[in-house]
Formats: sequence, C-alpha cells, structure tokens
Amino acid sequence: MLIGIDVGGTTTDAVLIRNGEVCSTAKVSTEPGNLLNSLVEALDAVSRDIPPEQLERVVFSTTVITNLIAEGKTDRVALVLIPGPGVNPASYTFPDSFCIKGAMDYRGREIDPLDEVEIRKTVGLIRESGFSRAAIISKFGQRNSSHELRVEEIFREDHPGCKLELGHKVSGKLNFPRRIATAMLASATRERYQEFVEKIKKALDERNIRAPVYILKADGGTLPVEKSIEFPVETIFSGPAASTVGALALTPEGQTSVIVDIGGTTTDLALILSGKPLLASKGAKLGGFLTHVRAFAVRSIAVGGDSVIRVKDLSLGTKQMTVGPDRAGPAYCMGGKETTPTDALKFLGLIEVGNPERASEAIKVTASELGKSETETASLIVDGVAQMITDAVNEMFFEWEQEPAYRVWEVLQEKKARPENVVGIGGGAKGLIAEIAKKLNANPVIPEYAEVGNAIGAAVARPTLTLNLHIDTEQKMYSVAEEGEIVSLSTTKFGNLNKVRLDEAEALAAELLRKRAEDFGISKYADEAEIVNSEVFNVVNGWYTSGKLFDVSMQIPAGLIPEWKRREKA
Amino acid sequence: MKLGLGRLRDVLKTGSGTTPSEGEKEQAEGQSKIEPEEARKTKIEGTKPETPNGNEEIIMELKKTGLEPKKEPSLPADRTGAEKTGLIFFPAFDWAISPTHPEREERLLYTRDQIFEEGLMDLPEIAEYKPRLAEYRDIARVHFCVPDIKAQATTPHLIAAGSCLVLGDALMKAEVKNAFALIRPPGHHAMTVAHGNRGFCNINNEAILVEYLRKKYGIRRIAIVDTDVHHGDGTQEIFYNDPDVLFISFHQDGRTLYPGSGFINELGGPKALGRTINIPLPPGTPDEGILYVLDSLVLPILKDFEPELVLNSAGQDNHYTDPLANMRFSAQGYAKLNEKLAPDMAVLEGGYAIQSALPYVNTGIILAMAGLDYSCVKEPDFKPGMFVQAARDRKTLEEVVAAQLENWKNRDRLVEAEVAKHGDFYRRKKQIFYDTDMIQEFQEETIRMCPDCQGYKTIDSHAHRGVDDTRIFGISVPIYACEKCQAEAREEYRKRLIHPGYEYVYLQDKKQDEYRAYNTRTKKETVY
Ligand SMILES: [Zn+2]
Ligand SMILES: [Zn+2]
Ligand SMILES: [Zn+2]
Repeated sequence: MLIGIDVGGTTTDAVLIRNGEVCSTAKVSTEPGNLLNSLVEALDAVSRDIPPEQLERVVFSTTVITNLIAEGKTDRVALVLIPGPGVNPASYTFPDSFCIKGAMDYRGREIDPLDEVEIRKTVGLIRESGFSRAAIISKFGQRNSSHELRVEEIFREDHPGCKLELGHKVSGKLNFPRRIATAMLASATRERYQEFVEKIKKALDERNIRAPVYILKADGGTLPVEKSIEFPVETIFSGPAASTVGALALTPEGQTSVIVDIGGTTTDLALILSGKPLLASKGAKLGGFLTHVRAFAVRSIAVGGDSVIRVKDLSLGTKQMTVGPDRAGPAYCMGGKETTPTDALKFLGLIEVGNPERASEAIKVTASELGKSETETASLIVDGVAQMITDAVNEMFFEWEQEPAYRVWEVLQEKKARPENVVGIGGGAKGLIAEIAKKLNANPVIPEYAEVGNAIGAAVARPTLTLNLHIDTEQKMYSVAEEGEIVSLSTTKFGNLNKVRLDEAEALAAELLRKRAEDFGISKYADEAEIVNSEVFNVVNGWYTSGKLFDVSMQIPAGLIPEWKRREKA
Repeated sequence: MKLGLGRLRDVLKTGSGTTPSEGEKEQAEGQSKIEPEEARKTKIEGTKPETPNGNEEIIMELKKTGLEPKKEPSLPADRTGAEKTGLIFFPAFDWAISPTHPEREERLLYTRDQIFEEGLMDLPEIAEYKPRLAEYRDIARVHFCVPDIKAQATTPHLIAAGSCLVLGDALMKAEVKNAFALIRPPGHHAMTVAHGNRGFCNINNEAILVEYLRKKYGIRRIAIVDTDVHHGDGTQEIFYNDPDVLFISFHQDGRTLYPGSGFINELGGPKALGRTINIPLPPGTPDEGILYVLDSLVLPILKDFEPELVLNSAGQDNHYTDPLANMRFSAQGYAKLNEKLAPDMAVLEGGYAIQSALPYVNTGIILAMAGLDYSCVKEPDFKPGMFVQAARDRKTLEEVVAAQLENWKNRDRLVEAEVAKHGDFYRRKKQIFYDTDMIQEFQEETIRMCPDCQGYKTIDSHAHRGVDDTRIFGISVPIYACEKCQAEAREEYRKRLIHPGYEYVYLQDKKQDEYRAYNTRTKKETVY
C-alpha cells in the first residue's frame, strides 16, 4: 500500500492507495506553525486501520523550505565568491559576500591564482564576524573546482567548525549568480530541514512504519528522505509538482493538458505536453533569488475563489469591476464579508457548496453598485475570472513557443501545442473549469479524487535523476555537473582520445547515470533514462583539430510508478 | 591624402579589390551531430507570487516575432520609455562552412559559456528573443541571387537575417531601447549580386534589415557604422548610390588585408558622395586610435547626419588576438566603443579569436549596450597600457580624419559637381572576387541620373567559376524612387527578358515591394 501526503498552505491532504486504486483520503487544515503535526494527523487519518507492515512506500511533499525562506527563518551564510573577470561582482545583491582573487576560464584553465594571504584574512574575518556557515563559489568552478577546494582546506585549518557548501557540488550548470543563490539557500536551510526530517522519521518510527520514505522535489520526482538532506532546496514548490503529477495520474496517457489548481487567492497553472509535464527551462526563483533548482513550469496568478470583487467608479460615470488580488476571509456564501467569484459561481448554480441566499445577497450588492442585473453581474464575474486564467494559459504556451533556440534544427522545429484538456485539481471553484475550457476550446476534466490530486501525485510519483556530462579530450578530463568531480579520461574505456565518437560519450553518460541511480537507490528506474541533449564540438587550434568537447545531458524524467493503475477515461 | 575634386575621376574607377583571400579552403575530419530530441522546457519560473498582491505577475511582456502580413508602413513607436536591450544569441551550433574553417560550429561556444555563466540572460535589463527565418522576399529586397535565393540563402543564413528582423521589429515597436544580434553566419561582404560566398558571407544581414525596416516602418535615414576589421565592402556596394544611408567603415588598411578596398577616395556614387566614409587604420592600431577616430570623426558626422537609426556592423576581429588580422583592440575598447556609439542595433560580423577574445568582447558589448558596469571585463592576459599607438600612426589617423571631415563638409558641393559631369546615365565597371567560392565577377553598373530621385540602378554581371560562366541582368528600383524611374525600370525589365545574353533577369521594385526573377532557359518567372 502506498501513502501520499501533501502539506499545503491551507490544507494537508493524504491518500492511501491499495492495488493501484485510491482506498481512502483525508483532508486536515494545516497548522502554519506546526507542519509536522498536520502531516502526522493526515497520515494517521488514512493509515488508522492499516497494519504498518503492509505499507510499501510513504511520499510527502511539503512547504517547509518555502516557508523557512519566506519567513526569513534561515541561517546566516558567509559567501566567499571567486568571480574573476566579467560582470562587476559589486552589482550582485547577495548578502554577506566576500570576494577574493583568483579566476578560472570557461575551459577550467586557471587565469589568476588564488592569494593565500587574502584567503586567510578573509576566513579570519568570517570567523570573527561569527559566521558558522560559509558557501564557496567560483565562476567556472564546475569546470575546475581546485580553487573552491583550496579555500575549503583553508577554512578547515583556520575555522574548523564552519559548515561549508561548495558551488560545484550544488550545481554544475552554467550560471554563476544562480549557483551562488542555490548554494547560499542550501546552506541556510539545511539544518532546520534536517531537524524536520528527523522528526518525521521519529513519528514514523513511533507508528512502526518501516516503509521507505520519500520526499517530492520541484521537478515531480521522489527522493529518499535521508538523501534529501543533501539537497534541501530541491524540495521547494513540491506542492504544485504534486498537483501536476496527480493530474498526470488522473488523465489519459500522452495528452496535452493544462492543470488548473484554483485556490483561495491564487491559481496555479502547469502544463502537460503530450503526456510530459513541462519543466521550466531555467531553475526556480526562490526568496527573490534565481536558482538552479529544477522545477516544473508553474505559473501562479493572483486570482482565486476568495478574491475580493470590487466596483470602482471611473471618470465620466463608467464603472470598473476588479478581482483581487487580496482576500478578505472566505466567500460571502461561506460566511465571509465580501463578494467573491465563489459567490458568483454559487449564484449561477455552478457549484454545490455554500449558502444560496447569502450568495444572492452578495451578488445583489455588487449588481447595484455596477448598475446591472444580478445574473449579468454574476456572469461577468465568472467570465472575467475565467478570462484572466485563460490569458495566463495562453501566455504560458506562447512563452514555451518563444523559447530561445541556439541551433538551426531548433528554429526549424515549429513548436505548436494547444491543450486538449483543462484539468481542475484541488478543491476550489470547480465551476470555473468549464468556462476556461470553453474559452480554450478544450475538454473540461474534473477527475475523480480531484480534490486530493496533489496527494495522489505524491503517492505515485517516481524518482527523477539528471546527469550532465562534459568531456574535454584536449584537457583529457570529464566532469559530471551533478557530482562536481573532475575525472581523468584515462579512467574511461576511451582508446585514442582524438577519435572519441559521440555514441561513446553517450555510452559513458549512460554508464555514469546507472551508477548514480544506484547511489540513490533507484536502480530500477535507470532504464527510463533518456538523452535530453547531446553535442560535440571540435576544438581547433590554427587549422588543426586539437581535441573535442562533448556535452551529454540525460535524465530520468518525471513519471508514475508502475504500481499505479492509470485511468483511461478522462 | 585629402581628396580634391580633381581626383574624383579616379574614385569612379576604383573597383573592389582582388587581394588575397581571408579564408582558405579547408579539409579536415570531425563531426558534429546534434540529437533532435526536444528538451521540453519554458522560461517560466516555477514560482508563487513573491508578494501576496503580486498583480504584476499577470502582466507579461509579449515577444511578438511572428511573420506580419504585408501592409502599409506602421510608424515606429516612441522608444523613450523602453528600458531593455534585446538580444538574440544564435550561435548556429550545427552549422559550419567546413569543420576547421573559422566559420565553424565552435565559433560562439565559449561565448555561450561565458555569457551563460555570467547569467546575462537573467538580467532584468536583457530581453532574449527567439530567432526566426527571414522570408525570401526579405532577401530579394536586397540581392539578385544567382541562380536563385535558395542557392545563396540556406537555412542558417535565413535565420541569421531573420534574427535581425525580429530585433528590428522589437526596436520599432519600442519593446527594447536597443538590440544586439549575436548571430552567425555574418554578411557584410555580400553585395547586391550574390553569385556565391565572399569573405564568409552570402547575404547581407544589415542591408536586409535596413530595407525591411524602411519598407515596414517608413523610416528613411539610416547610418551603418562598420566596426569589423575588414572593410564592409558588401554593405558599401549595396548603399553606394543611396544618399539616405550613411555608411562609415573603419578597418585595417586595405593594402594589408582582405578585401583590399575601403580607401578614403571611395566616397559614394555621384548622388551620394560623402555618404560613404572609409577610415583605413594602420595595422597595430590599439583602443586609443579607434576611440580617437570615433570621437573626432564618426560621432560628429553622425550627429550632423541625424539618422533615424544607427546600426553597428559589429565585427570583433580588431581584437589583439585575432588570427586573421593585425589590430590591437581590446574587450574594454569594444565595450567603450559601443557605449559611445550607442547604436540602436549591433549585428555581429567577424571575429575569430574564439577563445581569447569573443567571450570577453561579447560580455563587454552586452553589458555596455544594457548600460551596465563593464569595468571588470577583461581578457586573461590583458594589462592596461600594454598597447600604445605609435606617433607616426597617430599622425596618419589625424590626416585621414581631417580629409574625411573636409569631404563630409563639402558633400553637397561634391555631388553637385559630379552630377553635372554625367548625362542621363552614370556607368561604372567593377571586378569582384569571391574568395571562398573562387568566382571572378565582372560588372557594369548603371545609375539613372534622375533629377527627381536617386534613380534606378541596373547591373549587368558576368561571373566565371572554373569553366562555368553565368551572365545576369538586374534592375533595382529604390524605395523612394519617382514614378517615372519606376515605370522606366519596369519597362527595362520587360525588354531584357527577351535579350539572348542573360541566363537570369531580375527586377527589384522596392517602391512596389515586388521582386521578380526570370529564368531565360525555362522561361519561368518567380515572383517574391
Ligand atoms: Zn569595417
Ligand atoms: Zn571581418
Ligand atoms: Zn527618378
């Protein structure tokens, strides 16, 4: 049996899945100050009568990291930056930064050496300023990590207690400022996240649950909870990821859908293109910083079922109706104070919940302010909200189509997709889905168990894994972005380095991915790995080819575990 | 070296050079395979609104790059409120002239690594756009392609040109304050008649952009400043008789470098004298010399000309490490040049020091155009003050500047005097050499000396390529031609169709935005 729990902002949802079918569900309200309580309460609600040894897997998604960052409850981190030539580091907005001398170039060749005296002085200053955490990030440190490693050594000597984060271990992707932010946030949240994980493990122990426990990442993949401590920031935004995987689980295979999760004040949108959830091309934005964290392309717009409806008097006697962005408690028909889209939906008979008399009352007030009939007013509200969401969906598709292209074939490949389904997930404002679908000329789909789709997504998500291999035959080395080590090519099966072929580079990538999957305890999914991008460049000196550069990116994409029995009807 | 009226006769005789080639035919092993697996992704950040009232989350910048239907010129929008620098990075990682040719897949690889590692695409001051293909009619607006457009403008060429058009539209719609097309393949050696590849170029990206913007947005006066180390002979030739296009090129002295032209006596056709300004630079000229030319000559002339648009035909081969030339310009120099010149748009041309120069030069140019601090951009081996200009070279430059300022000041009188010397037509003969494709071309160009407009142009071109021999005839009607010239030119086209000597006859009616190519063998006419 499988358990999935999504600790969301307002509610914590849980499901129990038996033989690939939803067996029971639970919904409890989230205690903002104590996510663990909410998680445990939801867990108990679905697993109450189940012998713990029958549980095969527990997966949860949580906003704990997101909350820590939003509330500023993170630890101070000293940033030791080795920027080298380029953008003036003074223009960065990172706190507590210490820039030091030294530089690498794009091929990992040292341009400027480190200044040991300066490093010792900087480490001393960091120690005296009371920092117990530091992140060391060098521009192009992923192509040559020796500067970061040497600074780490000096920290060990001069400030031994300091907890260190190295840029090249955090991400091997190009983008120095994002690597700084990602390293900083990882360092700043790790200990509190670790405490949270310990508490969860304790709670499960107390219930004799010995099943493996996973946490959902922002890219919709599961990660063993012990392993997740190494990558705390990857667990951000796992809520929207859970909803998206849930929608994937609840809709027919291979279709293109837009996932609409309408909450109280926000609506989250995600896309599934031909059966694959769409990833953001760059990493997620977190706490005002752009990071390298891989995440689904999720758009959040400031409109929801509880958004306040207002009528404004414009000049010349014209009136304008606005939606949100704020919320003043629940909808009027649910006992609130202000007119909301939920009242309009109730008035028009599009939803079941809510008090019909109060809905009429609310719409009546707005209608008189607007000088229109009540039905007209309610329709205008529903239409307006549906239009805002539809516009945002169209913009998402448009942005995807307008992604930059760096190769001839990428420009030639016309990206065109239109949603076949508009899938409503989550509890809120179901009545709107049909309106949005009409505007997008798609099928409205409210799947069975839609209100706990997020928890289902957590329960049935499979692991994801990426591997970015960079080979430089002229310098006789390779590196795996995710692991940060620079390895000599003499350790590979390559014969003549001048004759390495792309298929051999791909074979090396596949072999390394298999090993990495083993380390993560997910060998069983290694066969799902696919090549995302693979390229080779000749390095030419004068008129001769002196080496080759290979870049191979592989991934185990987001998907569903085989235990889940997919619905074939939408 | 000042050019007096008496020497104008010599100017008119000067053809394009036939000096050694810039690239050589190469053969080497090596492969480049790109897997067409589609990486599913978008640029949307996976975020919740940062603030509860994140209304701005809904407001998005739409990047319109689709093909526009043909219509009357729309007016360029007011750009005073625009804040971003538009950027297209199109490195064409899957295209090369040949595996070890300077124009190969790897050319912008390290530039990508540098600008991506710097995070430039994330800066709020930068808006990245997606390339598109230029249409055949965009090419036909500038070139007579032999035998046809498809043969000269392959897909990568169409994308490079199309990228310029995308950014041109963004500029005219005031989505951006300026723009940089960091693209390949380059184009500034491509002339009106395109028989093949010259100096790595087949079609002229800047010229295609200029004619597209004039047609679509009704602008007229444009200045092109060619900062590539090689003379922008293609661009010069295309606009040689157009008084509305000011073409300024500085480059390593043509006596020492391909294409062997760009001397100060090349001043423009009779009705456009002084609208072509060449500044040959002594080999070894450092930042100091180029910035001197910019301050004392280029900027004053630009100010005087009052163009509606300034383009930088931005080669990076003036760099002190460039393998094909001998100048001593640095990344700081390039950044400063773009800051001072403040072009509305820069289009990458040459630059073949792909490791030692391009990553740093491009970072510098992008930062400078975006109005950001570029003071920390420098090449690994660069030391301030490492290149000083020789006094003798400085004196040479001062003379060139003085002569060209004089020509500029006297341009209207030069035109008057020259026009008086010709009757109804002005003719010149030219020889053009295509280094890459080893083609020798002979041309006779005729300009109608019209009192009401710049006059239509005809080109009779004869090309030898090995044993192949092709002769074509092309007629070009300028966008702002008078109706009489237009009618006369169209009549000329009809007459030439039955002329036995030509394999292809072309009509380029920019006024009508109508382009025809006639194959005299198959008797088939293609209309673009
Ligand atoms: Zn030039
Ligand atoms: Zn050049
Ligand atoms: Zn005329």
